[in-house]
Amino acid sequence: MHGLGELEAAVMDVLWHEQPLKVRDVLERLETPRKLAYTTVMTVLDNLHRKGWVTRELEGKAYSYEPAMSREEAAARALRDVLASSGDPEAVLMHFAKSASPRESELLRRSLPRKKRSSTP
Amino acid sequence: MTVAISLLIGAALVGWFAPDFLSRGVARGGDPLVAIVAWLAAAVAVVLTTTVGIVLVLLPDHGFGESAVATLHDCWSTIQHGTTPSIEAVSGIVGALLLIGLAVRLALALVHGTRRRARVRADHLATLRIAARRDGTTLWLDHHEPLAFSLAGKPGVIVATQALAEQLTQAQVDAVFAHERAHLAGRHHLIIAIADAMAHTFPFLPLFKLAPGVLRELVELTADSAAVRVCGADAVRAALLKVSQHGAPGTALTMSGTAIDLRVSRLRTGRSPRGRVRQLVYCGFAGATALVLPTIAASGAVLAVVAVACPA
Repeated sequence: MHGLGELEAAVMDVLWHEQPLKVRDVLERLETPRKLAYTTVMTVLDNLHRKGWVTRELEGKAYSYEPAMSREEAAARALRDVLASSGDPEAVLMHFAKSASPRESELLRRSLPRKKRSSTP
Repeated sequence: MTVAISLLIGAALVGWFAPDFLSRGVARGGDPLVAIVAWLAAAVAVVLTTTVGIVLVLLPDHGFGESAVATLHDCWSTIQHGTTPSIEAVSGIVGALLLIGLAVRLALALVHGTRRRARVRADHLATLRIAARRDGTTLWLDHHEPLAFSLAGKPGVIVATQALAEQLTQAQVDAVFAHERAHLAGRHHLIIAIADAMAHTFPFLPLFKLAPGVLRELVELTADSAAVRVCGADAVRAALLKVSQHGAPGTALTMSGTAIDLRVSRLRTGRSPRGRVRQLVYCGFAGATALVLPTIAASGAVLAVVAVACPA
């Protein structure tokens, strides 16, 4: 987990703590091992804007950025995106406790001893 | 010809009856990991045995005479001379073409599946990483429902919600993570991917057709018993109940057709899982047995033919 995605996450983290911020403010608040270029942060914010994570308003000459949603809303959106796309035909993710389709467990269920089956809550 | 046909019959028998046998074993409390190994080994064995059977049909004198190339040549020349080639040659060549076709299909399914999964995973991760707080390899989401899941890949990622940490006890949270880590460590996502590709390629025998559904269940049971080993059955069961009740409010357990009740009843009544080493031994044994099973079934078929055709 590194590269651009990592940066996007770090920038969002900054914005969720304090907002609205300009590119330069974000750059100052980012805690990265080495100093990032102004244009890098600008690109990242641009990407985040394009993907709908942040909104921006022109203040003077520079944009001022705000998260488009709270962290909780973002989490809900992420979950919706990820879990909705998965009746999981791709087998990318595994739930801890997912309701299976009836067909899936039919075979195992059928072979359960009858006594055990009826005592199941 | 007789040997070849018995091999095909042996493969078909295993492909037909192995799923029922294996799921019965698991339902009676057998180790789900052993069943997974046996299932995959049986699938490989059925494919190999079928291949050998078809190759034997293709080779005259049951493979001890001319080469396949010579057969092809003979076959071609008989066609050129306006006579029909022998049934053996025709069926052998049709079989060979069929096998090659299926092999290509399987390869394509695997490659496409792998690419598609990599793309979906990258999309998921991009979204999750922004919304989540990162703690080692775990991504925490601010969400009011207790949820957890794992994403395959290098490295694998476990995603959990804040509510999971708040509403479950520490032991139960540990159980959830042990379960998800077992998925990642056991390459369970890969097993499911292989099962999907098999079912896509050979949609005829139950061993292949049912693989995606049943193996999905079996990997959950396997991860459960891995978690039991670390945290005990009670913690796993309690975690499962708490998390699943949120998935479909109120109905998750009583609703017919959920895998949850199967897992819960197993955690309640099942025997405690074996130690790692014994489990490995059992897996090896089951895998080896499954590999030779079609051949054994084929020998049985030959003996049956002999018994019927040449009464003493």
